Amino acid sequence: MVKQMTEMLKGTLEGIVLAILSVRPAYGYEITAWLRDQGFSGIAEGTVYALLIRIEQRGLVDVEKVPSQKGPPRKVYSLNAQGREYLDEFWKTWSFLAERLEQLREGGR
Amino acid sequence: MSDTEKGGFIAKVIGPKRRWRAYQARVRQLPENYRTAVAAFERYLNYCGGLVDATSAESLLEDLADLFERAAADGTPIREIVGDDPVEFIRALVANYEAGGYIAWERERLINAIERAEGEDTGEEKGTVR
Repeated sequence: MVKQMTEMLKGTLEGIVLAILSVRPAYGYEITAWLRDQGFSGIAEGTVYALLIRIEQRGLVDVEKVPSQKGPPRKVYSLNAQGREYLDEFWKTWSFLAERLEQLREGGR
Repeated sequence: MSDTEKGGFIAKVIGPKRRWRAYQARVRQLPENYRTAVAAFERYLNYCGGLVDATSAESLLEDLADLFERAAADGTPIREIVGDDPVEFIRALVANYEAGGYIAWERERLINAIERAEGEDTGEEKGTVR
């Protein structure tokens, strides 16, 4: 069950994080905490961090360094136009996948 | 070498050694268990990182330090940073820095070779995937 969740998340976490950022800008710790709250209890902050670096490199998000009371500045990520486009694509792919799986569950075709 | 070439103006002036020392100084400032974890990843990367490009390696280590500094300030436990599978975590992180390395080069070669092989297809109609 845990293993299955990890594998499925590998393909969808990017879309999930972009969707979170489409609501409002956030930093890594916040995103991880929210995911854990929502029941993705096994999610590691480092996994989210690696993903944030990737979507930053691919130009899907804008990054702003915001000073923190304690420790180094936080990197706050916000979805940009390219990111929104990418997210639209993600939802299309997701709908396709979800529909087909639902059909299968209801007994093929 | 490539470090000074690709690292931009600052890196040219202060040089890669300075950058490496700055990274080490940051790691020394971490709480002990966070430092131990970073050292473990550093060692692993030395042996199995697959990064030959010094600039990528430095960027990777600096981003790793960023993560642990921030997590230490937030009081995030080590296990919550790296997850159940530390190998998978570092693999995912390293994948972000492979662009300049030989791995990317070899991947591109593979893609090109398959495209050429595909072009050599003899008239037969392509089967539909399904």
